[in-house]
Amino acid sequence: MEKKILELVNTVLNNRGKKLLKKLKPEMSLRNDLDLDSLDLAELTVRIEVEYDIDIFEDGIVSSVGEIYKKLEMTK
Amino acid sequence: MSVFFKDISKNQLVSWEELIEDLKKIRSFNKYCKSEDYYEIFKNIIISMLTGTEIVLLDSDFTDTELSALMGSAAYDDAIIPVDGQITQLLDKSSLIEKLSHTNESWKVSLFTSGTTGVPKQVTHRYETLTRFVKLSDKHRDDIWGFAFNPTHMAGLQVFLQALLNGNSIIRLFGLSLNEIHQEIALNKISNISATPTFYRLLLFPCEQQFLTVKRLTSGGEKFNAVVSRRLKEVFPGAKLTNVYASTEAGTLFASEDDVFTVKAGFEDLVKEIDGELLIHKSLMANSSFPIDDWYNTGDLVEVITNTPLKFRFISRKTEMINVGGYKVNPQEVEEILQTISGVEAVKVYSKSNSVLGNIVCCEIVCESGVELQESTIRLYLQTKLQEFKIPRIIRFVDNLETTRTGKLMRN
Repeated sequence: MEKKILELVNTVLNNRGKKLLKKLKPEMSLRNDLDLDSLDLAELTVRIEVEYDIDIFEDGIVSSVGEIYKKLEMTK
Repeated sequence: MSVFFKDISKNQLVSWEELIEDLKKIRSFNKYCKSEDYYEIFKNIIISMLTGTEIVLLDSDFTDTELSALMGSAAYDDAIIPVDGQITQLLDKSSLIEKLSHTNESWKVSLFTSGTTGVPKQVTHRYETLTRFVKLSDKHRDDIWGFAFNPTHMAGLQVFLQALLNGNSIIRLFGLSLNEIHQEIALNKISNISATPTFYRLLLFPCEQQFLTVKRLTSGGEKFNAVVSRRLKEVFPGAKLTNVYASTEAGTLFASEDDVFTVKAGFEDLVKEIDGELLIHKSLMANSSFPIDDWYNTGDLVEVITNTPLKFRFISRKTEMINVGGYKVNPQEVEEILQTISGVEAVKVYSKSNSVLGNIVCCEIVCESGVELQESTIRLYLQTKLQEFKIPRIIRFVDNLETTRTGKLMRN
């Protein structure tokens, strides 16, 4: 799962011409460390939803990589 | 032989004389008209006009579930009305047209709007509103129409009446393959075509020929983009392009040689713009199954050019604007940019609801045959043409675009 999320984050970053990441850490902030703005976050939710059938922002804002993992774990 | 109707998909070729003979044999008709056979539909409409009775036009592909949602418990196959044989006796082409052009006020036709969401609603028109913009003159006597709409929809009905009341030939194009359409236009020397922009787009790509007999192309329903306009002029070098504003609720209201519509004298108190939206007075409207106030909100966003006389240009459908986190995106604008990319044959930009921004912009792209485009190439190009929030976040490559019942692009 972590590998897949890294791939999806990199797809979003690549689409905006931003620097790709080699590794994700749970404590990383989506906005500050991953440099995702609201358009990127919107796209990321769609890509995660397509893959896992879960809207990670459905009931509030997710701010770190670890929180994404948690959401996906919870619904397993 | 003077052709009344030709449909190669059904091997039909009917002359005006044969039409009249067939009408004479009719002793009953069903006011609920549901058929895949255009000729059957046309005959039924003519009989209803001659007898001054209501006809309800139903799409041939309506399911039983849709029919019961539309009409409640009305049994559409149990509404047979006898036809007095006297009505059709001694008719010839000119007397038939003469009679039809004096259609009784009791005649009405009901059809259903093709909204992209929810159940279609029923609207009922009379002869006056349906023929408001029918042009009758010797100039139109020899017109040959390419029929590119569903005959049970408003636009199809308007083209049918224009052709019928001028004694013209009607050649079916709707639903045929691209090659068949090209062949029928050339073979029958079609002079007039009325169709949606989507129909024209599909007709043009690819098209190696030129059609010199076509003198008028009419379109409406969606905004024409520059790429399609240019290609139309190349393929139909002798044709004038007319843009028509019409809706199922109001019929045809305005026509224009370009994209600027002028409200004619006599209509100035019946059309207005409020908050960017076009409003139509109820006196111009058909009877409808839904209640309307004095003014009907068309949902069409316009840009006013002058107030007296009122001149305006359509910008978009109100509901089609995509609200991305408070930023409004006009999908047509994005589509027009995408269309300019070499190798792109057709595109659809649509909205997808999103928990972060409310909506995001998505698109589907059909590439030209043999062309493979990369998503990254398209993104890089769009970044030079559009503000970031207008760029589709999800780009899908597809073989075909989905369309609505009328042939308009489906956005959701």
